[in-house]
Amino acid sequence: MPDLHGIVYAYHSHPALGELVTQRTGASLPFCSRYRLIDFALSSMANAGVRDVGVIMQRDYQSLLDHLGSGKDWDLSQLSGGLSLLPPFGMHDSDLGEYKGCMEALSSVRSYIRNIKQNHVVLFRGDLAVNIDLKEVFDAHLTSGCEITAICTEKSFCNSGTRIRFVPDTPITSKRMLFPGSDHRKALSSLEVYIIRKPLLLELIDWCRANGKFHFHRDALAHYLKCGGKIGLYIHKGYTAHICSVSDYFNANMDMLKYSCRRDLFPDDNPVYTRGRSSVSTYYGENASATNSLVADGCYIEGELMNCVLFRGVRVKKGAKLKNCVIMQDTVIGENTELSYVISDKYVVFSDNLVLSGSNALPITVPKGKTV
Amino acid sequence: MKKECIAMLLAGGQGSRLYALTSRAAKPIMPFGGKYRIIDFPLSNCANSGIDVVGVLTQYQPLQLNSYIGSGQPWDLDVQRGGVYILPPYQIAGAKGEWFSGTANAIYQNMGFVDMWEPEYVLILSGDHIYKMDYSDMLEQHKSHDADCSIAVIQVPLEDASRFGIMGTDENGFICKFTEKPKTPESDLASMGIYIFKWKKLKKYLIEDEKDLLSEKDFGKNIIPAMLKNGEKLWAYAFEGYWRDVGTIDSLWESNIDMLSPSLIDLYDRTWPIRSRSPIKPPHYIGEKSEIHHSIITEGCDIRGKISNSILSNGVTVGEDAIVNYSILMPGCKIGNGAHIEYSIIGENVKIGEKAIIGTPPNGQSEIKITTCGPDSIIEANSHIEAGTIIYAKKENK
Repeated sequence: MPDLHGIVYAYHSHPALGELVTQRTGASLPFCSRYRLIDFALSSMANAGVRDVGVIMQRDYQSLLDHLGSGKDWDLSQLSGGLSLLPPFGMHDSDLGEYKGCMEALSSVRSYIRNIKQNHVVLFRGDLAVNIDLKEVFDAHLTSGCEITAICTEKSFCNSGTRIRFVPDTPITSKRMLFPGSDHRKALSSLEVYIIRKPLLLELIDWCRANGKFHFHRDALAHYLKCGGKIGLYIHKGYTAHICSVSDYFNANMDMLKYSCRRDLFPDDNPVYTRGRSSVSTYYGENASATNSLVADGCYIEGELMNCVLFRGVRVKKGAKLKNCVIMQDTVIGENTELSYVISDKYVVFSDNLVLSGSNALPITVPKGKTV
Repeated sequence: MKKECIAMLLAGGQGSRLYALTSRAAKPIMPFGGKYRIIDFPLSNCANSGIDVVGVLTQYQPLQLNSYIGSGQPWDLDVQRGGVYILPPYQIAGAKGEWFSGTANAIYQNMGFVDMWEPEYVLILSGDHIYKMDYSDMLEQHKSHDADCSIAVIQVPLEDASRFGIMGTDENGFICKFTEKPKTPESDLASMGIYIFKWKKLKKYLIEDEKDLLSEKDFGKNIIPAMLKNGEKLWAYAFEGYWRDVGTIDSLWESNIDMLSPSLIDLYDRTWPIRSRSPIKPPHYIGEKSEIHHSIITEGCDIRGKISNSILSNGVTVGEDAIVNYSILMPGCKIGNGAHIEYSIIGENVKIGEKAIIGTPPNGQSEIKITTCGPDSIIEANSHIEAGTIIYAKKENK
């Protein structure tokens, strides 16, 4: 068992996700037919043998709580350790506004971090679609002797988000961090996933608290580098999506139709776990057709699919035609209805004979439970 | 701990009429209908009927079955005051251990387990039937008729009746006659192999039957006729709906194909869910050039070819230009590019080479001949397997 403790940030939702996050956080956004984004952070940890994970949440976390349950789907429900849910602790002197930054969020759970029995902590964003071999990263972290290791990628992976980057001095260490906007050919984009020694993390939390600072990169890491600190770099090669906007969400789902992306995210030896839903297999009726689509179990398809991602329990009635759509759980598409470039949230009902089309640049989002 | 009724599920039979398909694992664990294993049906029925103690009697090739059932969690049977228990044959203190010699003997050897729950009633089930049934309704009738034994019966076409145990009932619905596989059936009420007994009564008959050296230790052949002879009250519980015994290759194939007709048995009905233990797999992918017609497809599949009227379990891959028609593809099997599969059952993890041809569709009036490939078997590229053949995996793969 690695000497590593997991912390997942699930307190923040990008406003550009619009109606997709009115009733949930970015971390509990449904993704690729049967997952929630937080599954990737938790599964990367579970596959590396991490047995203790804290999830920092602040608001709109009902759907997240429902999804996580006891944590048993990620082997995080055990007698020793397991999943700890870390909602805001409403103390009398606390400011109840949204966390101003990552360091404030960590500071709010300082006593939890102090009591962690492991010596290293992995800080993981809950809204990444990525499958990281954390065992390998942790080994590299220990070998490098750095107090903090940043997981980076050579690829650009997010269209709408802004990225922190690191300029390598040696192939595996860096003393320079670049903020969005600055230019450097060799810089590596940070996934904003870090492994950090617990004493350093506590030190940085205390320094930020004392100096009225809230941000991880701008404040804590900048301070650490200024004091002569060195950051280990680990280059992640596989697919990564950081989902910050509706178009990121749409594109990342469409990426899943490519074999190479699926292979990166769902390798056989590092599976992605999710909350089980015991459903039946998917039924394709006499007049159904499907091409280039991903379909979860429990669907009942009598219409046509092309370039679609369907979640569990979706019903596509006769004559309906779906093209370039992402259709979440238990949505019903009426007879002869034609949809293209539509993202439908859960439990939406599309009536018969509708025509609804968005575009690649601007997919239409239909909020949860709507009848159209 | 006291329970009103517990279930004993007979899952130890070899399923020898399934030939290669049961060469590696017992019949109840046979993949079925895409997502399921046969045993999911009785286990889910128990959970849905509020029966939360299930003893599963195993004997033949039990390893996969044991790990599949595990704690019983997928069926909500991992409860504090009850649960699902695997009951293999064991050595009784001071005696020689013995295999279960028949269905009745299997219960006889586990009377100690049943007594632990001090039940009034015991429900006897078998692990090779596909159906949805509310056992609590059967129990209500059993109680209201003060029966010593209730047997679930279903109407079958008279021409098929000679394959079943056939019941004759009196004007009040009690059983007055029982014939196992009669040559000239007098009724069309067939036993479904589902019994509820008053436990005290059953225990007495099991002990007596055990003393009879000529007995086959079988419920249908020995216990029921003995009770009938002694004038016990045997109630016929009439069941209507879908029920199939999937003990043969033909019936296993037919019943799988029936799942394509939701009007026969509705697996999408959320009020009576059939649950299963699912492996961790991503959603299934349908490729750019593939065609899917009237089929059931499960998570983890990667389909590039043409599928029609077929049932695909999890993790099946079908290569480009491959054709799969009226076939059952069990978990993890891999169909090479350009292969052509007709009217076949392809077992778990079978690999079929490129352009291999397996089986043929029935020609006009001719009888359907189902081709089977046993689990782990490998079919070479370009080979041609004739309809009705049974392929076994090579021994060294075992």
